[in-house]
Amino acid sequence: MFDDATLARSREIGSAWEEAYERLVAKFGDAVLERATNATTHSGIPLKSAYFPHDVDDLDLDAIGAPGAYPFTRGNLAAQYQLMNWANQPVIGYGLAEDTRARMDMLAEQGMVGYFGQRFYNLVYDLVSHEGLDPDHPAARGRVGQCGMGVYSKADMARLFAGMDLTQMNVVHITYYQVVPALAQYVALAEERGVSPEQLRGNTMNWYHQSAYVGMSAFPPRQGHKLAVELINYCSKNMPRWNTTNFFGYGVEEAGGTAVEEIGFMLAYGIDLVDACVESGLTADEALVRFGFQIAQANDFFEEICKIRALRRIWATTMKERFGAKDARSMHVRIHTHTSGAVLTAQQPLVNLIRTTLHAFGAALSGTQAMEVSSYDEALAIPTEEAATLALRVQQVIQEETNITSVSDPLAGSYYVESLTNQIAGAALELVQQIEAQGGYIAAQESGWLRRKVEDSAERWRDLVDTGKRTVVGMNKYQTDEPPTANLFKIDPEAEAIAIKRVEELRANRDHGRWERALASFGQAAEALATKDYSELDGSLIEAAIEAARADATTGEMMGALKSALGWRAPHEY
Amino acid sequence: MSTEIAPGEPIRVLLAKPTHDCHDRGVRLVAKKMRDAGFEVIFMNFLLPEEVIRAALDEDVHVVGISTSSGGHLPLFGDLLAGLAAHGRDDAVVIGGGVIPPDDEKTLRSWGVEAIFGPGTNAEQAIAMIKRRLATVSS
Repeated sequence: MFDDATLARSREIGSAWEEAYERLVAKFGDAVLERATNATTHSGIPLKSAYFPHDVDDLDLDAIGAPGAYPFTRGNLAAQYQLMNWANQPVIGYGLAEDTRARMDMLAEQGMVGYFGQRFYNLVYDLVSHEGLDPDHPAARGRVGQCGMGVYSKADMARLFAGMDLTQMNVVHITYYQVVPALAQYVALAEERGVSPEQLRGNTMNWYHQSAYVGMSAFPPRQGHKLAVELINYCSKNMPRWNTTNFFGYGVEEAGGTAVEEIGFMLAYGIDLVDACVESGLTADEALVRFGFQIAQANDFFEEICKIRALRRIWATTMKERFGAKDARSMHVRIHTHTSGAVLTAQQPLVNLIRTTLHAFGAALSGTQAMEVSSYDEALAIPTEEAATLALRVQQVIQEETNITSVSDPLAGSYYVESLTNQIAGAALELVQQIEAQGGYIAAQESGWLRRKVEDSAERWRDLVDTGKRTVVGMNKYQTDEPPTANLFKIDPEAEAIAIKRVEELRANRDHGRWERALASFGQAAEALATKDYSELDGSLIEAAIEAARADATTGEMMGALKSALGWRAPHEY
Repeated sequence: MSTEIAPGEPIRVLLAKPTHDCHDRGVRLVAKKMRDAGFEVIFMNFLLPEEVIRAALDEDVHVVGISTSSGGHLPLFGDLLAGLAAHGRDDAVVIGGGVIPPDDEKTLRSWGVEAIFGPGTNAEQAIAMIKRRLATVSS
């Protein structure tokens, strides 16, 4: 990027600085802080105390490029926030469908907005649904409407979206592995209202890969992988506006992984997934254009920004060079930022507002497409209305008061930022090589290697906190005696009884013959999927699921069929 | 009485987390730290409290720890305590961790849950508590 004369001069300036720096450090003697001589990022990447042009002498200007130009280090599009702010995508979901709807309407009223004034709803299902059960199952007790909405059927979907025009919004269905029933119920509701699948916009999670590091019951890895490809196959033919798959980088960091592990795991999984999609008959471009990423923004300010710039570069180069992707959208990393929940504290909860503001600010500088900012009370309970509104205000203040949205990728060209971006990209590619040497992501998941890697990182960080080497304000430093936080959110205790009554009524009143036939066909499609190769996947399972949803099959019933056909394991059995 | 610990016998702990909870970073680390401290630790995920009660009886543990970060803890601990008592194992030390609001913590303690290790506490505190508590029993 620099000519030889500039680099030579840079080295001279750098050496002079280094001498001056070392003189200062020497003056401090034993009192010198570790970060003065031995700083690292959260991922363990060594840092210098100042950066110069020669620190990026191996970097070609074309590797940085321009916003909207390959390899997209600086962002997906030529215009970033100038024409279109990032979408506000707070996660919403608690209680019954109506409770969740009330929070959706409240936040919309408060200015929550997607692209070009469109409504975006980022809706999370409850724990009962996540386990693939119905509310009348014994394990559902105390969990209906907890951590998400109690929506278990097409009828519940109808309550959730009562009176809304499904063609005028973007709905993100945050499930765990009940991806297929949730999509099927949404599509079946849309059909009832005269809206066809190709008109629908939104996202399914389709993220079976996260069972590598998130401790939930799950399908065996290879069966989950097939489910993912099956859905991509269906959507590529029938739902061209639907974003099929959410790469769950966020979960890697929240489970304790580092920034390098987060993006390395995602690229390694991306390679496996595109391979399988191609084997199923899709082109790389057909599959890739509808992938999205959920990425964490945690405490290490610059590393988290550079991680995103690095991910955009290594994703684009891999998809182009290895898979021959041609469509620019296939090379884009579309990011939904989720500010870290794991670094929030139950102690002095208002301090979390400061943390989340820094996270959101970093994400904005990195060029994200959508954002969820955690609420300050999340370490304690489901966010109150006040806390959820404040989290939205964090985004609005950054978007509308700071003027940072006028310039794309404002940190580009910083010797430090470009150097760290390079280092993270290099470390992540090395990790991808290690995973590929084991046979790829799914193989490394099956062997438990990915999980161990993340757990080792989690332990390293925790030991640093426990020994006071890493500060957590209010928790291991600056503690205060504080009264327990009042005004915590509680789910209406009636919700559970109502949810049970509703599912009982649904079972009593639906067309039993149609339901029985549809569920049986879905079960057969699931059995067939269990023994298929990737090359035989064709989307037929999703068609059978939609028919079951039309016939009022519940999430628990549909997941029951999938579990019995594909297997289902508690995380400790892995 | 299973909480009587013979000399040289390791402390046996069952740590359990609901399968649909997913916030297991803390409890899995606690399991590791307890093993490092010389405890015999069984870690399991479960759907129903009966599974935990069965494992506690089969493994004849001294301590049962439940990690829960997603609600539903009141009926869960209620069933667990009742189930242990029904099998004559109300001597087992029952502890909890995760995200449990202060009001519910009071309720759980009044039922006999001996400690709740919430966000910000660490494994060492739980290990020290168990050692103290079981030393009192065996002395």
